[in-house]
Amino acid sequence: MTAWQWQFGGLIAVAGAVALVAGIYFGGDAGEPLTADLRGKEATGLLGISLPDTKGHEYPLAQWKGKVLIVNFWATWCGPCREEMPEFVKAQREFGDRGVQFIGIAIDQPDKIDAFAAELQLNYPALVGGYGAIELSKTMGNRLGALPFTVIVDRAGRVAHTQLGPLKEAHLRSIVGQLM
Amino acid sequence: MDSPLTSTGSTVKPSRADGLARIAATIAWVNAALWIGVAAAAGPKLLEPERAFAFSVQALDEKTVEARFAIANGYYLYREKLHFSVEPASLAGLPVLPPGKIKDDEFFGKVETYRGQLAVKLALQQPAPGSKVVVRAESQGCADAGVCYPPQVQNVTVTLPMPGTQPEAPVAATPARKSWFN
Repeated sequence: MTAWQWQFGGLIAVAGAVALVAGIYFGGDAGEPLTADLRGKEATGLLGISLPDTKGHEYPLAQWKGKVLIVNFWATWCGPCREEMPEFVKAQREFGDRGVQFIGIAIDQPDKIDAFAAELQLNYPALVGGYGAIELSKTMGNRLGALPFTVIVDRAGRVAHTQLGPLKEAHLRSIVGQLM
Repeated sequence: MDSPLTSTGSTVKPSRADGLARIAATIAWVNAALWIGVAAAAGPKLLEPERAFAFSVQALDEKTVEARFAIANGYYLYREKLHFSVEPASLAGLPVLPPGKIKDDEFFGKVETYRGQLAVKLALQQPAPGSKVVVRAESQGCADAGVCYPPQVQNVTVTLPMPGTQPEAPVAATPARKSWFN
């Protein structure tokens, strides 16, 4: 090793150390998770509420305790939300008689919800959430209040999984399969 | 092994130079590995909406302000959901929004979106030199990663300059935060 080689190596080492310290200092919330991990906790925030459908009929969520609940927060103005719903319709049809229940909570206007529900031939309740529903999703760990946000609750009423962003069919089936 | 010669002609003991070089190289590689580890652990990163859609306003003259969005890479705003208003003044007319990118949406049909930098001039009905106006932007956007944010409202207060003077500096709704990764 020549002198310049070890000087160069030393320079790289110092530069690397400075970069690492700077990265940690300035990194800010680079490591902060998008959703709080509520797995295993009682889903009281969800099961304790009641929401209306587009006709004004009230649905207390507690009525579904004991089922595998997939609560999906969505909106028609959210493209990724609309794109994943057909797979939910399919799963509801397949697993509905084995104690699986999908519930949609829409942050949206009733007429828009109705139009989309008709187009999809929605086979599970589409409840109207309003902006309060965004706050509700935040209590379930949706730090950014973004959509789609899905909470899966097991038969004992505990949070089994939360997902921000689309829930891939294979992943959904694997989780539900374990909980059924 | 020959003794290496330095430029001054003196010799450095090979074992010591080698040892230092190896230590330096090891530190460099450990640094690199730590960096890669930190980046991997950070995971997929979604910005807070105020940072994904950074809103700022510049008062250009005594009756014109320019509303701007700096839309982060991988995010977009819907043209139809973009609305501006000012207080206490009133706008001279409907703000002219530039054309966006047209997308064919399965449900909504043709949808227009904005990416990158967006600037919209807002003309006030009455010039109000020296006074403050609050510029309000309502927007709704999504991330390519597959999430959408609820509609956002952001407000910026600017002071209109006196006639014939330089435009004021732009004012940001959310102060920029030092971040290595953003």
